[in-house]
Amino acid sequence: MTDLLQAARHNRTRLITLGVLALLFATALQGMDPEEWGITVLRGLSVGMVTFLVAAGLSLILGLMDVLNLAHGEMFMLGAYVGWTVYVRPDTFVDVLAPLALLAGGLVLLPVWQNGLGRCPLQGLAARVAPWLGLAGGGALVAFGLGRYPIAVWNHRVYAESPITYSLALSQGRLAIPPPAAWESIPPLVSLLGILAGGILLSGALAVWRQRRPVAIPGRLPRGPLLLAGGLALLGLAVHGVNTPLTELLFGMGSTARFFLAMGVATATGLLIGALVETTLIRPLYERPVYQILLTLGLGFVTVEAVRALWGRPEFTMPKPALFAGTGEGCPATSLGQWLVHRCSTIFLLGGRVRSYNEIFIVAVGFLVLSGVWLLLQRTRMGMIIRAGVQDREMVEALGINVRRVFTFVFALGVGLAALGGTLAAPSIGLANDMGARLLLLALIALAIGGLTSFPGAAAGAILVGLLQQFIIKYSAIGIRLPFLEEPFKPSPPLVPASTVLLMVIVLLVLPQGLFGRRE
Amino acid sequence: MENLLEVEEIHTFIGQFHILEGVSLAVPRGGISVLLGRNGAGKTTTLKSILGLTPPSRGRIRFNGKPIQGLPSFQIAALGIGSVPEHRAIFRELSVEENLRIAERRKGDLERKEELIFRLFPDLKRLIKLPGTKLSGGQQQMLAIARALVPDNKLLLIDEPSEGLAPVLIEEMMEAIRQLSQETTVLLVEQNFLVASRLAERYVIIEEGRSVQAGAMAALVDDPETIQRYLGAA
Repeated sequence: MTDLLQAARHNRTRLITLGVLALLFATALQGMDPEEWGITVLRGLSVGMVTFLVAAGLSLILGLMDVLNLAHGEMFMLGAYVGWTVYVRPDTFVDVLAPLALLAGGLVLLPVWQNGLGRCPLQGLAARVAPWLGLAGGGALVAFGLGRYPIAVWNHRVYAESPITYSLALSQGRLAIPPPAAWESIPPLVSLLGILAGGILLSGALAVWRQRRPVAIPGRLPRGPLLLAGGLALLGLAVHGVNTPLTELLFGMGSTARFFLAMGVATATGLLIGALVETTLIRPLYERPVYQILLTLGLGFVTVEAVRALWGRPEFTMPKPALFAGTGEGCPATSLGQWLVHRCSTIFLLGGRVRSYNEIFIVAVGFLVLSGVWLLLQRTRMGMIIRAGVQDREMVEALGINVRRVFTFVFALGVGLAALGGTLAAPSIGLANDMGARLLLLALIALAIGGLTSFPGAAAGAILVGLLQQFIIKYSAIGIRLPFLEEPFKPSPPLVPASTVLLMVIVLLVLPQGLFGRRE
Repeated sequence: MENLLEVEEIHTFIGQFHILEGVSLAVPRGGISVLLGRNGAGKTTTLKSILGLTPPSRGRIRFNGKPIQGLPSFQIAALGIGSVPEHRAIFRELSVEENLRIAERRKGDLERKEELIFRLFPDLKRLIKLPGTKLSGGQQQMLAIARALVPDNKLLLIDEPSEGLAPVLIEEMMEAIRQLSQETTVLLVEQNFLVASRLAERYVIIEEGRSVQAGAMAALVDDPETIQRYLGAA
């Protein structure tokens, strides 16, 4: 009991701030019907959860390795586009999978190259020229192979083949398999092996660049990367072999199942890109934080342009999966059970209409991820190392733990979560090139409110920001009755983003470390 | 028999600053050796250079017969070097048990060493579930040493164990270090000459980034001139 009192006294400011915030949201009940209040809270949670998926990774990465990943919003956007592709154009996804698996198979050989260079390092001119030769040769091989690998893509100049048409067809349940792209000029195997060889050369070039002074004891040849490379190469060839049946299978499965697959693929892509970015771009710059920030900023721009170039159009819509799209008989559903039976887009809940995707599914997935990451941090050895590393990386390393590997894991995890968030948000807010930049700003504000490097803080900040926005939107419709004003006060739309910044300012004035931040 | 640790003429830079300008030392197997020297002489940097946390740019380090300079820190540590850094660097956000658990190199290390740890530091048994933030300065220092005992380390690098501790606690700490030195070799950095002279059998004096003198502690105690010259006070 005394412990509890002491803890309360210790966190007085924090408790009062949280109390005031809770009180504010509760007083909002006065101005509107309880049902509307409940729905606004659900909407706020929904926005908050999407923000959280981005903020969580940002906070973990910032906490453990002091890297502010300004490209995190773009990873969210990329996740949305990848998810969209798997969902709306699975044929393109299958076509792309084979060459990408082969390229990755070549790239993961990096540690093997490094091991070899540890035994007989390149020196002088050779060390300076070899990586450029590798880069040029590898790049040419990859460009040659990829350029001739037929990928079925939409033609955004022809209406019948445009992404919009496919989205529309999908939402009306009459999506037809587009004709597979035809092979031209060279045998498939040459193209595939060219890509694999290109990847191997590229990783070799990277290895020479990152060659350090001779290592005293070269370790044994690492077997993990060799196995992984073999597996990826086999996967690529296998996917190539079953291209047509796989495409048919993906088109045949229901849109709900395909949507879950899209979420999985987006997350996996995020994990891979995260691991790749950390090991190749971020890792050489840990000693130079300013360069790192510039690098991530530039990476964001590159990602936006790459997405624009690859997907051809700046904006897409993503139809909701069938489970959340029904409007026919029995809809709106009267309970969660009824919803599962009739697959309604809306449910009568808390006395009002709730959209099953936006307000139920997103919030549920958000809470699942929240508790999953929380368990990872609190209950696993990896989580213990992450929590320890946030405080003192050097000491963790001095215990004999390979902190660099943990960095890669955390970076990959963060990007994976952001990519998952992208696919999750896409059916609700649509896809746009600037969706990431907008959300990154919101996530950064959420982090500042919650305490930069605190995981619970990231969650609390994101939810607060989401709730606040939705309440301001609600009030701009119904108006706030203030005692000293005759007319109800209606917040103008610019107040929606401004309110979050205002909340951040107030919280930081009272608690300079944020709600859950710790004093440095 | 050859020495457990041999450091030959290492030079270490931190940024632009040439901190170590030729440190050599040898630590034989067993017992306690101590690094002596004034503030800023380079004692802590020597420990960090051995561990690869501030990698030396020149010189050679051999541990247990193997050259280790240039290896990443975690590999050096995994060869059997435990570190107790200054300022009691325990993980405050972790519980006492997690602080010990994280040092495991193989599953079950903590269970194997539990008896030894609780014999040396009986207090820790009572505190095992507490978060690191709740520990007093002395308890944190005990935990930092206990953490280094969890895996099978051949050498412990202990930096300033008596710093900021009350005299009673210093006695306790010295007793613990004396006992654990029967199991592993200890290389100590200690400002407090009284503590150092009572604990260690051998010493190395570091002065402005160079090792200038080494020998048996018994001889140094009878040499007030050297003590005055390099350490300032007896």
